[in-house]
Amino acid sequence: MFKKLRLTSKIENALMLTFTLIFLIFISISPDMNLESLKGVLIIGITVGIIYGLVAVGISLIYTGLDVVNFSHGEFFMLGAFTGLTVYNFLIDGEIIYKIFPEAYGWVGYVIGLFLAFVTMGLFGILIERIFLRPLTKKGGGYTVAGMGIIICGFGLSVILQNVAYVIWDPTAHPFHADLGLPITLGGVTLPMTYLWMLVTGFIVAGALYLFLNKTKMGLGVRAVAYSKVVSNLVGINVPLYISIIFGIACALAGIAGTLVGPTYQVVIYMGYIILLKAFAAAVVGGFGSLPGAIIGGFTVGLFETACAFFISGSHKDAYAFLLMIVVLLIKPTGFFGVQVKMKA
Amino acid sequence: MLKINNLVSGYGSVQILNGSNMEVKNQSIVALLGGNGTGKSTILKACSGIIRAWKGTISFDGEEIQNLAPHKIVEKGLVQVTQGKDVFPAMTVLENLRLGGFVLKSNIDLKNNLEKVFNYFPRLNERKNQLAATLSGGELQMLCIGRGLMSNPKMIMLDEPSAALAPQIVMDIFKNINKIRKDGLTVLVVEQNVRMALLLADYGYVIKDGAINVEGDSKKLMYDESVKDSYLGGGGTTANV
Repeated sequence: MFKKLRLTSKIENALMLTFTLIFLIFISISPDMNLESLKGVLIIGITVGIIYGLVAVGISLIYTGLDVVNFSHGEFFMLGAFTGLTVYNFLIDGEIIYKIFPEAYGWVGYVIGLFLAFVTMGLFGILIERIFLRPLTKKGGGYTVAGMGIIICGFGLSVILQNVAYVIWDPTAHPFHADLGLPITLGGVTLPMTYLWMLVTGFIVAGALYLFLNKTKMGLGVRAVAYSKVVSNLVGINVPLYISIIFGIACALAGIAGTLVGPTYQVVIYMGYIILLKAFAAAVVGGFGSLPGAIIGGFTVGLFETACAFFISGSHKDAYAFLLMIVVLLIKPTGFFGVQVKMKA
Repeated sequence: MLKINNLVSGYGSVQILNGSNMEVKNQSIVALLGGNGTGKSTILKACSGIIRAWKGTISFDGEEIQNLAPHKIVEKGLVQVTQGKDVFPAMTVLENLRLGGFVLKSNIDLKNNLEKVFNYFPRLNERKNQLAATLSGGELQMLCIGRGLMSNPKMIMLDEPSAALAPQIVMDIFKNINKIRKDGLTVLVVEQNVRMALLLADYGYVIKDGAINVEGDSKKLMYDESVKDSYLGGGGTTANV
């Protein structure tokens, strides 16, 4: 039963190392290779990676808590971006914020947008879980026929939420002009402020999540429920409540990630689908169900994708994440943190 | 303290219990015995609210609890201690014990109970910062019992505390169970190790096919032929009792 402490096989690790080395040699002989571009790739890769990581942590949390893969998770990301955008535009149009913060109205509005996207998506996630998923998880959850139902329900929910967003915000792409100031230069790399916000906020949120899970009583309960619902019941944890909390946290993370990504591209109702697949790749690479693994997997996918896009070809950017996922699944099917995070009795 | 009246229950649509009656008196140790698949654990699960009673009542401390959520039952002071394998292996011993005290409101209670548990099982204190996955079988069982005691229960229900343990360790654990009773708790112990359980308990119930077959004083049950029958499904000659 304690297979989680099993040492991962040496052959798997050697193969992973070989793959990494080949990849590094491959990009280092690229004609575009120099210190400047390497720095740029590192910073952008980590920035994109933390976003993938935040969404992947949500997917992993729901997987451990509800025993299902939530295929509608990308839509919470999309709705979060819309929430952030709407809040931001409302505040900027209202002009009150100019009077109170004439110097820094842009980032004050953005912070409020981020916060409200986090809270709104958290509450919305809890609502969705209570109404749509609870009747199914009650019937036995992930490892039963009802679990299959939840997965299908996730696909359906994804379409429904996209159409809800269609009705509210219409399907055109919305530009998100967050007025956050001029780009800054970090170690010779010029970085738009939106990327800096992604980087810093992403790390703050990931750190807060770590502290929440490891230092608070509620976090202890979340980890317990994620491992075993029966034993959690027996120690007196209100399991249905904690399942809602887990779903809410996961959706809140996706929501804040959406508002962070919004200003770098544009906000559109189809933006959830590709981030879901990328985050899924990140979760698989890191080890499905492992939370540190999801963050590390996010960094790996982000760095790999950015490096390939820069040194090989930018036009196939979206394919690289899945290439990495397939390679990892072939060589090391358990992912980096390939621990058996949970065992079923 | 605990009274089970005509309990009918099971899993899904499979009925396991066909009207069991039991009573556990205040500050006593009661043994619930029976072979594999007779419904011992099912009774415990129904008492702790993991599965629902289809018919009949379970009352604890004068209150009916068969319709309460599992965490409410723990709050009332009735705690089920599962077998040693049901710990959280990826958490430390201390975190496991903290989880046991999840229903406690104040940190002072938590600290006092932690001290109490370390008093019963000093070994857990030595290993409090280790992952539960690194403990031995006996230590895991101690951890499970300790975790059960963390919530200030009035009564604990032990599910096979001797399962897969060396006799020496079983003795040690049973001594501690006796000590726990002397400190004012009521204990219901489900066992396959009939001899040990009856040595420990005051009163015993033997369950067969989902209903109580024999009951009586534990001294009497120890020499009762029908107990052997219950274990072998009748007609046996060399029962391991």
